[in-house]
Amino acid sequence: MNIGTRKILDRSFTAVGIGSIVVMAVALMIVVVPIITNGIGAVFFTGTVEHRKMLFSEFKRGDSENLSSEVASSDRYRAKVYGMLTGFEAELETMAPEKKAEYKAKYSEVKAALQALLGPFPGDPAPMLTRFKYGQTRWEKAEEKLHDLLYESKWDNSNPDVMAKEYFVSRAIGFQGTSLVKLFPYVKDNMEKLLLPEFTFYWGFITDSSVDSHFFGGIWPEIQGTFFLAVGAMLFAFPLGVVAAVYFTEYARPGFLNSMLRSANSTLAGVPSIVFGMFGLAFFINTLKVSESKSVIAGALTLAIMILPTIIRAAEEAILAVPKTYREASLSLGSTKWNTIATVILPAALPGIITGGIISLGRAAGETAPIIFTAAVSVGSAIGLADVFSSPTPALSWNIYNLASEHEAAAQIRHVQYGMVLALVSIVLMLNLSAIVLRARISKKLKG
Amino acid sequence: MIKKISLFVVLLAVILSMTASAAVTSLVLDGSTTVGPIAKTFAAYFTKKYRVPVNVSESGSGNGAKSLINGSCTIATMSRAMKAAEIAAARQKGVNPVASIVALDGLAMVVHPANPVRSLTKAQITSIYRGTITNWREVGGPNARIVVLQRESNSGTEESFKELVIGKGVQITGSAETQSSNGSLKSRVSTTLSAIGFLGHGFVDGSVKAIAVNGVFPTVAAVKNGSYPVSRPLYFYTNGQPVGVVKQFVDLPNSADGKRMITELGFINR
Repeated sequence: MNIGTRKILDRSFTAVGIGSIVVMAVALMIVVVPIITNGIGAVFFTGTVEHRKMLFSEFKRGDSENLSSEVASSDRYRAKVYGMLTGFEAELETMAPEKKAEYKAKYSEVKAALQALLGPFPGDPAPMLTRFKYGQTRWEKAEEKLHDLLYESKWDNSNPDVMAKEYFVSRAIGFQGTSLVKLFPYVKDNMEKLLLPEFTFYWGFITDSSVDSHFFGGIWPEIQGTFFLAVGAMLFAFPLGVVAAVYFTEYARPGFLNSMLRSANSTLAGVPSIVFGMFGLAFFINTLKVSESKSVIAGALTLAIMILPTIIRAAEEAILAVPKTYREASLSLGSTKWNTIATVILPAALPGIITGGIISLGRAAGETAPIIFTAAVSVGSAIGLADVFSSPTPALSWNIYNLASEHEAAAQIRHVQYGMVLALVSIVLMLNLSAIVLRARISKKLKG
Repeated sequence: MIKKISLFVVLLAVILSMTASAAVTSLVLDGSTTVGPIAKTFAAYFTKKYRVPVNVSESGSGNGAKSLINGSCTIATMSRAMKAAEIAAARQKGVNPVASIVALDGLAMVVHPANPVRSLTKAQITSIYRGTITNWREVGGPNARIVVLQRESNSGTEESFKELVIGKGVQITGSAETQSSNGSLKSRVSTTLSAIGFLGHGFVDGSVKAIAVNGVFPTVAAVKNGSYPVSRPLYFYTNGQPVGVVKQFVDLPNSADGKRMITELGFINR
């Protein structure tokens, strides 16, 4: 091959390499940027006075004097809104019956939209559900609700051959000639006075329990559950995995049984996680009865079985990578085999073993399928360490799925879902970072 | 090293003693995604009022029944009655399933709000699900292929739909798409112009349009007086007659607070 062709080949290979890295980086950005920007929105956002009311009455947090002065100032503006409503209701009574019926239907829509924006009307009985006790707690949602109040969504059916198109009609036009027509511009112009938006740093999103199935409050039970499950899995899998790896590398004689065991281990690493979930239910709960029903311990055991092959493989590689001279030097000094393993080989292999362990820890934290049947519930309170043997727990991975698909009002609480995603990604990232740091520190120590 | 380990042990002991709480009997609910909102709301209310922890999972009515039979839940929430086979399996394991009705639910047929079709008869719905009607034009809509949505085999809502609308023996068309929960079916309908599906009454909101069945819309009144043809009760199943805290929980739908919660969630009191 002449030198010119080689150069071209070489350059094009470099270009392909750089290209693939760029594609990966772009893909990562596309995934990570919305996670971070939306996820941060769960903690940092523009909160309204309704949010501060909610925090005060549900979590006893906030300055009561400050809050009551805020409530008083917003109530001054709200009183006018409610005054307009009562004024219109009086006017409604004076109307002709057919006109009254026509307005009444439209008026109830206005009332519902206003209630969604500002919360229950004064004098109404307090709703049972916390989600209806307050108006919009987040400013961007409040703006959406304002749009619902000002405009009515209609569907244009003029062409029977295609699906209808949505268009918006101002509600004010519908009330032309009545006193209520003033309400719409008033609410629109005084939105800020009515809801007092303010930049909010809601750190409670991390430390609070959820209120009314994630409508308000935070995700602490989920974070704690994830932590318990992942650490619990590690407590079982790590010692077991290291011991198995030592056996494979140091004690097992090459032969049929050994190669069977190894290939079984590799196969186990490739089993889909839902299979582990079913196995966990059938074995740990139904057969061994480690707990009466779903529990953290059953979930942790299931996850442990799932991550075991990875830990064994990583530990094996790490042990095999220890230079032979270490072993020979130790044995030549009269040390026993066990002593050599415990004092020379394992310490030297430790960075590799720990890396494998922490990567598995990240996987255990993020898996959903193994815990669906063994540990996870969609609503539950934070559990104490003593309850892990009997109680199931909410966990981030499962609750993200639950909020995305099963929750009855998924579209209204997207920010919670994003917040959970960000929390999970950060936990896994933090675990991996700590693996890198730990590994670096131990390697440095070993080099002395 | 030993110092570090002992430090760790002390730390662990401190955490343990901090979080260790007196063991209270907790309730575990499993089953229907349709009953899910009621179960979750009741759970929060119950935990607050009686200090009894309640855990709720929503894995489908069929799974709820299985969990009750295996003894892995205290109350199975179901959107259909237990089948004879399930009751037999339960008896065999020494479990005696007892039903109590939580609320009524109208099974709403839903389409995208852009769909001009406002009403279908049971016969038309059956034809759509059997695959003999495949275009909205055939039922008075625009020229668009119908995207048929159903629920998974585990779902009580699916069973109720088969029983109440299309009849037990009828085979649903193979091109029907399966969704695993009320929530995911709703989001599929709200993003697909030509879709049709069915939802529990409490899940219907502005993002989808409920259509009339045999001319009757699924309103609260129509479900309550039985004129809406596709309504069904929702159940709590317990092992034996409920006693103690379980009874307190199962009786919630009869209390004033329970009734209000059910209404606010969009379900219908008995």
